[in-house]
Amino acid sequence: MGDPFDLAAGWLQEHLLIPLLYALDLMQWEDVSYGWALFAVYGAVQVAVTFAVCVPLERWRPVERWPDAAAVWVDVFYTVLSRVGVLPLFTFVLFYRAQVSLNGFLADHGWVPPTLERLFPPLLGQPVLTFLLYAIILDCADYWRHRLSHMFGWWWALHSLHHAQRQMTFWSDDRNHVLDDLIGALWFGLIALAIGVPPLQFPLLVLVLRFLESLSHANARVSFGWLGERLLISPRFHRAHHGLLAAGQRSCNYGAVLPWWDMLFGTADFSRDYVATGDPTGPEALASGSYLRQQWAGLRRFARALTKTPRAPAG
Amino acid sequence: MRLSKFVFVSCFFLATAAHASGLAFVINSGGASVSLVDMSSQKEMRRIPVLREPHHLALTPDGKSLLIGDTVGNELLFFDPATAALQKRMPMADPYQLGFSPGGKFLVVNGLARNQIDVYDGATLQLLKRFPIASMPSHLDYAPDGSRVFVSLQGTDSLVAIDLNRLAVLWTAKVGKTPAGVMWHDGKVLVANMGTDYVAMVNPADGRVTGKIHTGKGAHNLFISPDRKIIWVNNRVAGTTLSLDAATLAPIRSYAIPGGPDDIAFAPDGKLWITRRWAEKVAVLDPTTGAYGTVDVGRSPHGLFLNPKGTPPTGVAAR
Repeated sequence: MGDPFDLAAGWLQEHLLIPLLYALDLMQWEDVSYGWALFAVYGAVQVAVTFAVCVPLERWRPVERWPDAAAVWVDVFYTVLSRVGVLPLFTFVLFYRAQVSLNGFLADHGWVPPTLERLFPPLLGQPVLTFLLYAIILDCADYWRHRLSHMFGWWWALHSLHHAQRQMTFWSDDRNHVLDDLIGALWFGLIALAIGVPPLQFPLLVLVLRFLESLSHANARVSFGWLGERLLISPRFHRAHHGLLAAGQRSCNYGAVLPWWDMLFGTADFSRDYVATGDPTGPEALASGSYLRQQWAGLRRFARALTKTPRAPAG
Repeated sequence: MRLSKFVFVSCFFLATAAHASGLAFVINSGGASVSLVDMSSQKEMRRIPVLREPHHLALTPDGKSLLIGDTVGNELLFFDPATAALQKRMPMADPYQLGFSPGGKFLVVNGLARNQIDVYDGATLQLLKRFPIASMPSHLDYAPDGSRVFVSLQGTDSLVAIDLNRLAVLWTAKVGKTPAGVMWHDGKVLVANMGTDYVAMVNPADGRVTGKIHTGKGAHNLFISPDRKIIWVNNRVAGTTLSLDAATLAPIRSYAIPGGPDDIAFAPDGKLWITRRWAEKVAVLDPTTGAYGTVDVGRSPHGLFLNPKGTPPTGVAAR
């Protein structure tokens, strides 16, 4: 008996995607479409599991109660789009091609991207350990991507969409500007060139990591305790990052899954308890607009940041 | 012993005895692993991890090594075909489909993702020449004298012919939508066009399509039986395996093999082992009855190799 998620993806591939590709004369994409089917099936499971755990938590111990939670529905849309919809397709079709072209260019010039297993041969045959090492490295890379997105004005203009939400819930994890997502994909593409990328062979572990990222945004009074909060990022810890006073170019708690990078690089703040979230400096459309209005407002803010004359350094 | 029980037990032992023995390698392209299967019990006994995304394999001309290409891992792995012991690893850019020329003078390696065809010295494995090519070089086969190789180009609906002695492209010609499997047969090159329902007959001199054999939607790959009497075609979209009379190229029989039938290997007992890409299984088809058993393997099984003289690992240690 095979993996039920894989078999579901296989069913999707055989009965929906392949007939569609055949009808559209796109059969050269059949391998890529299977990758997308796997991604979509696991994405759907991620959403279902996160929903099943986080909804009871948010109802049991909410940080805030809102008379009207309409703004949350946009975040639901972001999540579906990101985890099972168009964005994974975009990633698999366009980004895959771009990465292959770049890899090919580099290979033609004598650079074969290394992998952790090639750098440390004992890792071969230790797939779970290898994956965990990759996860740690990628989490560190994500810490720096995130921190830089707060440092540069043009990048913050895009990333502020993520911070604009005043009604932050577990759905808010995927609330991003598409250009911010694209930069993130390019960022990880470059990291992949340096260390190789783990294949989609540990989807359950990926599922756990994505679950933790969603959980960290939950509207729930959940702390992992003194030690636990120094091992894994809790909703309490990450909420401080989304706090009103922490928005913008001086923030804290940038980590996604592990708090270690914040502790190592001096940006950890364990003192703040369940603060109000949002970005008071941004336009209202970023907070409460529809999906398209948020994207447009983010683009306008981005354009203004790009054209703004930088201030001369003091002194 | 009651009669029904006796019949059941007898059938079980007969069925077990009917399976060919030996070691089967099944490459799990989506699972970054190679499954080792006991051909006799048709059970996966062990799963060998590789780096990223292995797809195809080739036996060295001396039969001492089984080469498995890991495309995304940019690595060629050498296994003992009898014991599956890893012999060595060699960095190689995007080894997707690979095969030695008749006589073993050349090894041609297609880099599907990197749009390149690499020609290696078959003995030393030194790269002789790289052909950057548009686009997606997929499957390959040789002229019987080993002087030319024919490679399908999935991205441009073409077939390219390369003169291996002069290391020069002879011609490139359109042969049909999304060509995949290639096979030299009886003075012609047969090309399974995955974007269509037919195998194209191609003139090896100039690439002109001289005829079509309708096999089923998504004609993907083709193989000739060990006695060279039957050509087997897997149709990816239709989910069928079709037998053709090798002499007349007339269809004989179609078998339903769902789950994306891909590569085929022939067992000494007359059965066909067929990888089913989206089912995590290998079908073991009895062409006489049309029934097939299944072997559970890893994600997206692709290339496979049967060694009736091989020794499968003992004790199930898969996963």
